[in-house]
Amino acid sequence: MAAKKIYPTWFVTGALLFYVVLFFLPGIMGIGYSFTDWNAYSPEVNFVGLENYKNIFYANSNYGTFIKNTFVFTLVSSISKTTLGIALAMLLTSKKIWGKNVHRMLIFLPQVMSFLIIGLVFKNLFHPSRGFINITLNAIGFDFLAQNWLGDLDFAFKSVLAVDAWKGSGYVMMVVIAGLNAISPTYYEAASIDGASFIEKFKYITLPLLKPVIMNVTVLNITYGFRVFDLVYSLTNGGPGNATGVINTAVYSEFSKGNYAMGTTLSSLLFIFIMSISYFILKVMNRGEVEQ
Amino acid sequence: MKKNKQVLKKSKLLQKAAICMAAAIAIGSLSGCGSSQGEENVKDAEAKRVTLTFGSHQSGLPSCGVVQELAKQYEEKTGVKVDFQISPDAQWRDLLKVKLDSGEAPDIFCVDADPLSLYARIRPDENVVDLSGEEFVGRMADYAKECVTYDGKVYGIRFAEPKLNFYNYNKKIFAELNLKPPTTYEEFKEVCQTIKDAGITPIFEATQSAWHQAVPLCVTGGYYERLEPGLYDALNNNEKDIKDVDMMVTVLEQMNEFAELGFYGEDYLSNTAESDKTEFGEGRVAMTIASQGFGSSIAENYPEMEGNVGIFLIPFGDSNVLGINASSAAYFINSKSEHVEEALEFFRFLAQPDNLQYRQDNNPEEMGLCWPEITPEYPAEINEYINSLDAETVLQVGVKYIDPQFMDIGKDIEAMYTGAMTPEQIMENISQRRAEQAKLQKDEAWE
Repeated sequence: MAAKKIYPTWFVTGALLFYVVLFFLPGIMGIGYSFTDWNAYSPEVNFVGLENYKNIFYANSNYGTFIKNTFVFTLVSSISKTTLGIALAMLLTSKKIWGKNVHRMLIFLPQVMSFLIIGLVFKNLFHPSRGFINITLNAIGFDFLAQNWLGDLDFAFKSVLAVDAWKGSGYVMMVVIAGLNAISPTYYEAASIDGASFIEKFKYITLPLLKPVIMNVTVLNITYGFRVFDLVYSLTNGGPGNATGVINTAVYSEFSKGNYAMGTTLSSLLFIFIMSISYFILKVMNRGEVEQ
Repeated sequence: MKKNKQVLKKSKLLQKAAICMAAAIAIGSLSGCGSSQGEENVKDAEAKRVTLTFGSHQSGLPSCGVVQELAKQYEEKTGVKVDFQISPDAQWRDLLKVKLDSGEAPDIFCVDADPLSLYARIRPDENVVDLSGEEFVGRMADYAKECVTYDGKVYGIRFAEPKLNFYNYNKKIFAELNLKPPTTYEEFKEVCQTIKDAGITPIFEATQSAWHQAVPLCVTGGYYERLEPGLYDALNNNEKDIKDVDMMVTVLEQMNEFAELGFYGEDYLSNTAESDKTEFGEGRVAMTIASQGFGSSIAENYPEMEGNVGIFLIPFGDSNVLGINASSAAYFINSKSEHVEEALEFFRFLAQPDNLQYRQDNNPEEMGLCWPEITPEYPAEINEYINSLDAETVLQVGVKYIDPQFMDIGKDIEAMYTGAMTPEQIMENISQRRAEQAKLQKDEAWE
């Protein structure tokens, strides 16, 4: 097996060194600080054991809501973007669609835009009386659909998720298109001869062959979902109240209050969540590859 | 053969280009050696290219742009440009703290400063240039100096007088509906109901700015103190828990009742504070919380509002005490800035008597400055009304650990309006956040 390797193992040393120094070590140091009372008001750093973690889980605080919101965001955002991305990719690889490249470019475009700009633009679009969305809905007689998109507890988080799906599905679409183009048309021709329907072809040919692509996209979506900050910050700043707050908005808030230890505690928690889930997904992926 | 000729031509061209460049470099170096005047010119040009970054929140600078105008005049005079970086009110406090901690703060930054919260906000001894030795410091009013002083050193420059908040009302709407400015909560409710029935939004509210909805609760602090003399001291010494201040709960309940009755209109959860001028000026709302200069500030864009804006005390809880907020936006110089001297020069420029007068004359929002040498220009009617009121310091200036959580209180009130929190839960949160801050700052009263 070793003889088949093209590059020697030490080639990875440089990248590994950067990774360890710039990513892994700060992460471990952060976990260390989460057991202290590190703050902006005192040069002393004292060991406080699990007190910060207890405050997250036992104190009368909003941290529970933030953790729940982060999980919900990650789950819904990953599913919606992946589903939408695959559907768009299928549509834009179909021979029946005209101007595919233009469509692809337009759908991918939001991906390269800044979260802050998107947040500010959508904040205006969502305004209940002056926003483009409600004005349009009222103008075409769908006024019953007009909502207080960012001010209503029932819609604020859904609106954030909708903007996220709009921004991120173009990226998934491009990756899936690359995956679809790599599937040999002979499979579909053979299936057609056997009389397979569109759904059967999708289920038995497209999906299994896209599995590695979907798995990669899922890992990226999940790690992004856990780390989400910019979009929530610029659209709702965690409001109304704390209804749309996520772990990273809480981290930001704790750092700005000077409570660095609590900030690092929440970051450490996030680090552990991401590491565990990514490890689990990668494990499943590797097992699939071996089976193949 | 053809190829060889082309190669020869190319090499000749290259030779000529090389000779020209060498000559240019030689001439350049000769002229460089010959004149120190030239060097000075280069240095001057470099100095002129200095750009000072000036970070502020939206309400930290007058919306009429007078500070930016003065900065342009300063640039014309010195060549030093001032680049204003303005952030939304709801984000500035957190953003600045993060920037200060990460060493990325602008050269000059604007902060609402008062003696109790100055340290928590900017930790002046570590982050700010000491201005105590500057000539202009001696000319600032004493109350203004106190707000920017830490450990005996003056760290900031400010211009505004103490902040006063009133409900500014549209006199025309009140006259048409035969209404008088209310003095009690019940009267206030009736006034709002009448205005709402007439199809006008009674009160402008803007929860997106976070601070806006916290104003009625906190500026009524003087009234809480009057009801329970010694309350501020008891709260500061941790002898009383803030969640036990009954009148604060009452005020929150009344504010919530207003939201439920629809007195803030339909868009208040999506509004930002800056749109108050448009909403009020165009007659869509009848009242808004603002300073006494609000009427003059909108008269330029809405001439029909000239003399059409009156003020009355915030009547939640039947309050009859005017809250005085000595804190105000002040400017500070980042001690880690590479352009401290230029920033100091800019402050000296702003503090020149003619520029102070220019600021007052061109800023309808500020009819007075915290510089005794400049005579205030309040209309007699407003002066008389303010002088007739009993006044006391607002909660966020008189009580520790309120101001650092002002935006959090605003977010809690927003949550109350959406039904996600009760007034009691808000008070519990305020108490808890005070305890957290006290613990972080190792306050002996909490140990």
